[in-house]
Parts: sequence; structure tokens; C-alpha cells
Amino acid sequence: MEAKIGVFICYCGGNISDYVDCERVREAVSKEPGVVVAKTFMFTCSDAAQEEMIADIRKEGLNAIVIASCSPKLHLQTFRNMARRAGLNPYTYVQVNIREQCSWAHTHHKEAATRKAIRLVRAGIAKARLSIPLEPIKVKTTPAVLVVGAGVAGMRAALALADMGLEVHVVEREKAAGGWVKKWARVFPSGRPGEELVNTLLKGFEERENIYLYLETEVVEKRGSVGQFQVRLKGPQGEQEVEVGAIVVATGFSPYVPKEGEFAYGASGVLTLQELHALLKRGIEGRFVYAGREVRNVAFIYCVGSREKEGHTYCSRYCCTAAVYLGLLLAERYPEVKQFHFYRDMRTYGKYEIFYHNCLEKGAIFLRFEPPDVPKVEVAGERFFIRVKDRLTGGEEVEVPADLVVLVTGMVLSPNENLVNVLKLPVGKDAFFNEVHPKLRPVETVIDGLFIAGACQGPKNIAESVTSGLAAAAKIGALLLQKELRLEPLVAHVLKDRCTGCGECVAACPYEALSLKTEDGKQIAYLNPALCKGEGACVPVCPEEAIEIWGYGHEQIRSMIQGLCKEDL
Amino acid sequence: MIQVDERLLERIAKDKDFNAQACFNCGTCSALCPMGLGLLPRELFRYVLLGARDRLRELSDVIFSCLLCRLCEANCPRGVRITHNIRTLRSYLVKDEYRIL
Repeated sequence: MEAKIGVFICYCGGNISDYVDCERVREAVSKEPGVVVAKTFMFTCSDAAQEEMIADIRKEGLNAIVIASCSPKLHLQTFRNMARRAGLNPYTYVQVNIREQCSWAHTHHKEAATRKAIRLVRAGIAKARLSIPLEPIKVKTTPAVLVVGAGVAGMRAALALADMGLEVHVVEREKAAGGWVKKWARVFPSGRPGEELVNTLLKGFEERENIYLYLETEVVEKRGSVGQFQVRLKGPQGEQEVEVGAIVVATGFSPYVPKEGEFAYGASGVLTLQELHALLKRGIEGRFVYAGREVRNVAFIYCVGSREKEGHTYCSRYCCTAAVYLGLLLAERYPEVKQFHFYRDMRTYGKYEIFYHNCLEKGAIFLRFEPPDVPKVEVAGERFFIRVKDRLTGGEEVEVPADLVVLVTGMVLSPNENLVNVLKLPVGKDAFFNEVHPKLRPVETVIDGLFIAGACQGPKNIAESVTSGLAAAAKIGALLLQKELRLEPLVAHVLKDRCTGCGECVAACPYEALSLKTEDGKQIAYLNPALCKGEGACVPVCPEEAIEIWGYGHEQIRSMIQGLCKEDL
Repeated sequence: MIQVDERLLERIAKDKDFNAQACFNCGTCSALCPMGLGLLPRELFRYVLLGARDRLRELSDVIFSCLLCRLCEANCPRGVRITHNIRTLRSYLVKDEYRIL
């Protein structure tokens, strides 16, 4: 089919035209083969300009368009929708960025900016000339979800998903649901025992018929892709397979365990935050007694296993508030017990600042240290002496006697190498699982249909964990309730007659979208389009040019290079 | 080195109105003191909170030099009852340390 191309160049109200001579660009590209219409606009994104472009597409019977304006990040969808309204396949529209790449980048050199713009638009025209109309890839979705981990984040996500009418399979490797929260004496800000929260969630499970809880079960295999996963589970009753449309990983954290001797850990009377929770949960009648001796002074040492120079370099977020809140619980039960809190920076952020304030008012004494001058714990018979350079007393050395030392331990990822391998979970430098974007896509991973929630993504308190669980549930609802997914068609495809089945592309693909399979007696590469991200790692490694990306074919790229190199500016 | 004296802590804890905990070390009191006392309220109260008995004994001259003018107290953003606290300390020194009364 003969190409009939429209080229529309944007002034961006001066953002482009102050540096790029847009009229000269139009002049230079209007005689390119296939170009039927070449126009400039003050704002191509304006309604009036869009209407005019639509009219041109219809009147001239255009089968491809090039829009030279800003970054595709900004208006790709705008112009795809415009093309659709004009009756043009959106994938025959090509975006050229002459703002960020020309006018903004070369404000000091208008002539060069203009020449670069001409080259880029010519490349765009060359690409448009060979563009092929594409349709989105359609995938039917299974209305079921796998939730890995039955802590608060996973359980709350499961309830939300069940309420959307989806079937929910919740897998937990422990003997009981509830994770760490279940073990906690009292959680902020509600003041209720952690177990109560968990029981509320479990009651929700019982009230819903579409939640299936698998205890002492692990995920051993995953196949398929977004919308259609097959997952194999291994539990006490053997193996079974479930079909799901999406997966949420909410495997939570492990508390940091201090090394033997770290702040005298290992000595009787030195506890972690978790151990203090257990102690207070059991409850002690009357006076505060530990290991047969009365406790008059308690010392809390903060940031143990957090904000280290090497290793756990991050702040665990929840521990300051948790320690201060346990301090309040102690003050309430045993008002005669004196508390000394050795902290680095008090991070009882947001609404929880009040607990720090209350703890101060209860008479707890706070001493501030700064590495490398960390508190030194000396064991002296049945007592401890903690020595610190206190920043709040002008750096003077203070010695505090204590009967119980609580190490305020942070969070590390709950180790589960097997799950990481099976699900191909992306792991960040702190060993927690990685989201796509920490602000804008906080619960999605690079693998479509695989979500993360709760403290497996990084330290979080209960409220934050539950929020992220609900966020994952909302994303999954939006995905699976459509019944049919429409995926971007700009993915790879194998040219079967050229492929020799060497497997180079299979090894290059980071998304496992490629595999080898036998077709008509010949081994060739096979692509699962739902797994492909259109990244293109497979293209250059193929010795036969037998794989290419839709919208970025070999011929298109070559012709773009020709367009860029043409010396008629 | 400051050694925390538990008896002093208990003695101060008995005084319900001693409220130095609220101090967040802003230094307004120090800036306003017309005596330019060698020891500033925030430092003094910090020693008391830590139960630094030796320091209190060393600093008794300063504690008794305060005019009780309340310029600092009127301007304290945390509502620390500075003059009341000073009186408590004087009473402690006189009764418990020097046993004059």
C-alpha cells in the first residue's frame, strides 16, 4: 500500500519554536517520499489542532502520521486516542520529541537544534512509512488470586479481593495465620493486643466462602503469565495446582537477631524488641520480675540492626514508635520502673509523635548517641551498666545502671530463597523485594500480574502494611475484573522461516518470555507475548535477524538511520 | 563521668510538679537570663533528670544565684515551670544534701 503520511509539527507555544525554526523543519520534510500533508501548530495537543489533524487524516486518506512535539511520556496516549477517533490505527502514529531532545537541550545553538529536529522528523517519517497497523494482545483472565503469606498485609488484601468476587487462595508456610503481629503484646495506635487484630481478620476469612487458606504450604512452581498463572502448591496433603490471574507476595519480615555479644546480647536480661513483646504478652503479676530478680531500671537501645554503615543501612521505620509504645505499656503496668531510652534520632513520625511526648511525660529519660560513639553495655553480676556520650548533656559521658536491657531491633527480609526463584521476584540492594516505582507504582513488580505488599517490600508498620495490601488488591481488581486484558502489542515476534532454534534469544530474555519448541519437525524459538515487555534484548543477539519487535522492525530501524543521516538540511 | 543516682531520681519523681521532661533544648531560657548565669536552666535540669547528684552539689552556688525573675519561664515554649523547679532543687539541696533543716 502506498504510504500517505501527515507530518504535524508543534511550536509548543514557543517552548520549541523559540529555538527550533519549525517552518524550516516543515519545509525540509514536506518533500520526503510519502508525505502528503506537512503543517505546523501553536499547540498540537490543543482541541482545535487535534480536530484539524483529524480532518486532514480523513480528507487526505492518510495511513500514517508523525507528530513532532514533546516527549511521548506526555502525549503518546493523547495522540493515540486522536488517531483512533480519526479512524487511523494508533500504531501507525509516530511521536518525535523535538522539545526535550532539541529546543530544551540546545538553547545555546538554534541552528544546530533546527538541523537536529529535521533529522529526527525525517527518521520519524521513515519509521511511519513502514509502520504496520497493530491490535492490542487480548488475554482472558482467571478470576482468582494467589496471596503468598497470611500476615496482616496478605490477609487484608485477601479480604478485599474476596469482596470483589474473586476467588482467593492464601498460602502460609507457618502452622497458623497472623505472622508477627499475632505475637505482639500491644500494637500502636489502637492499644489492642496484636492477636485481636489477627482474629478480626480470621473471622472475615470464615465469613467468606471464596477464601481458601492453605497452612504449612509453600509455592513450588509457577507457569503462565498475567491473567493466566498456574501455580503448584506443596502442603501437608501433598501437591496441588491452582489457576489464578494474579499473585500478591506478602511474606513480611524477620526481626533482626543481634550477633552474640552485640550490646551484650546473649547475657540473661538482654532482650530484643520481640522478646520484650513475648514477656509482656505472658504478663507478670505484681512487681516487674525477670529471671527471679526485680527490675527497677530498663534500658532501651535503639537502631540495633538498622542504619548500619554496612549491611542493614536502612531505617526500619517502625521500631522507634514500637519501643516508645512499649515504654508506655511498661509505665502503665509498672509505674515505679524507671526507663532510659538510648536513641539516635527519634522517628516516631506522623501521628505517632504523641507517643514519644507521652513517654517523656511519664518520666522516661532519653539519651541521644551518635555513632561511632554507641552505648557500651557492661555486665556486672546481675546488673548492667550502660555508658554513653550523651548528646543532650553536651556530649558528657553518662553511666546508667539497668536490670533489663531491651535492644530495639529492626526488620530484615523474611528469608525465602525458594519463593524468590520460583516467582522470579526482583530483589533490591537491601534484600527486600523491589517495586517498579517507589512513588507511582508502589505495589507492582516488573513482572505483570505479580504484586508485592507489606513489609517484604521494606520496613513498614501495620497501618502501612495493610495500606499496601489494599493497594495491591485494588490494582488486581482493576486487572482481573475486566475479564479480558488488552496488552500493548509492541512486543517481539519470531520470524519462523529464518529461525534456526539456536536459543541465543532465550538466554538473553530477562522475562522468560522466550522458550524453544518444536514445530513441523524443526526447533524454533517461541514467544509468549503476554510475558514480553518489548525490551529488545533478544533482537541484537539473534545471528539470523529472525526476531524483531513490532513497531521497531529491522527494516524500520534501517530506514530511520537513513533518514537521520540524510545530508540535506 | 555522670553516674546516675537512683535515689535522687526517686526523690525528684515524688515531686509531681517538677516538669523538666518537657524541655526540648531550644535555649530560649539561656538567651533571656538577666544574670547570665554560668549554668543555664536547660543544662541544670538535664543533670537533674539524669540523677547527676555530684553535679548538683558542685553547682549549688549557681542554683542559689537565680533571681527567680521568671523571664525564662514566661517565654518557655514547652511550659517548663522553671522557677518551681529551681525551688525544688534548693529544697533538695538544703534538706537532703546539706541537712540544714
